[in-house]
Amino acid sequence: MKRLSLAFLLIASASAAEAQQPGAPDATVVEIPPLSSPDSGTKGNEMLQIGWEATQLIASDLGQTTELMPLKPKREDYVSYPEVTAPSFGKWRPLGAKLLLTGFVQSRSDGRIAIGCYVYDVTKGSELARKGFVLPKSDWRRAAHKCSALAYTAVTGSPGMFDTRITYVAENGVGDGKVRRVAVMDSDGYNHKYLTTGSTIVLKPRLSPRASQLAYVSFSEGKPIVRLLDIGSGKERPLVPNDAISFAPRFSPDGSRIAFSMMLGPNSDIYVVGASGGMPQRLTTSPAVDTDPSFSPDGSKIVFESDRSGTQQLYVMNADGSAERRISFGAGGYAAPEWSPDGQWIAFASRGPYGRRIGIIRPDGTGEKYLTNGPADESPTWAASSREIMFARLGPGGRSALYRISVDGGAPQQVTIPQDGSDPDWSGAID
Amino acid sequence: MRKILLFLALGIAATGAQAQILPFLSKRGPQQPVVQGIDALRADFAAQSGGTTVYYGLGSAVLGAPSRAMLAAQAAWIRRHPEVVVRVEGYGDSGDTRDHALAVGARRAEEARDYLVLLGVPAAQVSTTTWGDERSGLGRAVTVLVR
Repeated sequence: MKRLSLAFLLIASASAAEAQQPGAPDATVVEIPPLSSPDSGTKGNEMLQIGWEATQLIASDLGQTTELMPLKPKREDYVSYPEVTAPSFGKWRPLGAKLLLTGFVQSRSDGRIAIGCYVYDVTKGSELARKGFVLPKSDWRRAAHKCSALAYTAVTGSPGMFDTRITYVAENGVGDGKVRRVAVMDSDGYNHKYLTTGSTIVLKPRLSPRASQLAYVSFSEGKPIVRLLDIGSGKERPLVPNDAISFAPRFSPDGSRIAFSMMLGPNSDIYVVGASGGMPQRLTTSPAVDTDPSFSPDGSKIVFESDRSGTQQLYVMNADGSAERRISFGAGGYAAPEWSPDGQWIAFASRGPYGRRIGIIRPDGTGEKYLTNGPADESPTWAASSREIMFARLGPGGRSALYRISVDGGAPQQVTIPQDGSDPDWSGAID
Repeated sequence: MRKILLFLALGIAATGAQAQILPFLSKRGPQQPVVQGIDALRADFAAQSGGTTVYYGLGSAVLGAPSRAMLAAQAAWIRRHPEVVVRVEGYGDSGDTRDHALAVGARRAEEARDYLVLLGVPAAQVSTTTWGDERSGLGRAVTVLVR
């Protein structure tokens, strides 16, 4: 059933408002009447229109989770402004919804708008959470995402992942003539923009935790070198002031450090450097290929891949390079690990006779399981919720696309982007 | 390293000066070499060396005997052509993950470069890069005449 519903979503996801997911059998059903407004006249109509779009966005957000199942919003379910804070629960109980999300949009004299959201337990007839935001009219989507997060957190206790950003490599064409640009967008596909021009090959962009900085690999010097871009100002510089080959950058969870790979002669090792500069510190010394470092959520440990045993395997070490420990032992290879934001899992790409597929494993090496069947999946990256993974899948024609999949399994769902894409990276929740 | 660079720079400056005063010295001066375009040089390099590409085993950066023989021929040619600069470009194996492919390609390029330097090619004359899983195919290192 779950598989079927996800497959249905895949086809129907072009229109976000239509994407009403039947959801898992135990999903919490949510009723979302159109956001109301205390305003009247032209202003009132404008606020109600924003409210209606926000309502559909919230339903779309929640429809993409496995834990919540929004009923399809209907304009005729309109509630009056007083009902936002004093809902008549008897009206909603027959619909089978356990959760009710109401809200309002109000214009302000300073030109901005106020958006308030309220989450109720319909069965108990009690309020679970509320939140209010004042923001520019054009930013209503951010408030809607935070309303979605409010409902998600009320049900699951986990932080919502709706106001997050995704960076990836946008690809046009195939083969040698392929043009690649670093792109960044909101996790729902809005506010899509390109951060590099396409004049040079770019790989593996990584967002800082608050998505204010971007580390990426550029071939502008004729070889791969990590560069650091300040997204707000557009200023950028090489991560380290030398001309050594460097790649595979990743920020620490607090954004203060960047771990990466650098070549010293024929030897690829893992280094760490302050995001604001300084001398890089070498963390691994093995003569093998050590690469793809990823920090644990508390910043105290780093998982990485190394072929020191003869095949690519996963290792965990302290963030200062001490106490290296191998955690994967299966046949084939394990590559490109990323530690989940809740610390419970490490996602990886595996290599074997089946090609490349995406799996997860506990940081202590137990619980290994596979989420995709390949044959050309790689670059897994976690959602802020730790419930979902995004990855790149290379199709038969040499064209790459982005997919997301729940850690509980199911069919991968293709992400809608304006062109081909690879090397995704999903930021944490942006406050 | 710096000395070699300096030497090269002086050499280029001297060549420039010589070209200007050549009419007065033409009777005694050495035969002016035939000026070759970069494409002609590349073709000559490939022909004389028996190829520009050395191949590696899966996941390996170890040079086999055929590869060493080709690199020896490349080294002899490059030593006869101090006016050129070469770049060794390494590639990963097809099906490899992105960053591992970059590292393996870089290692292959370095191993080939080190062998050229061991055989007397000035280090300043040869740089390296890696293409990782770009233009994937057999694991290899290609010696490219840059200029």
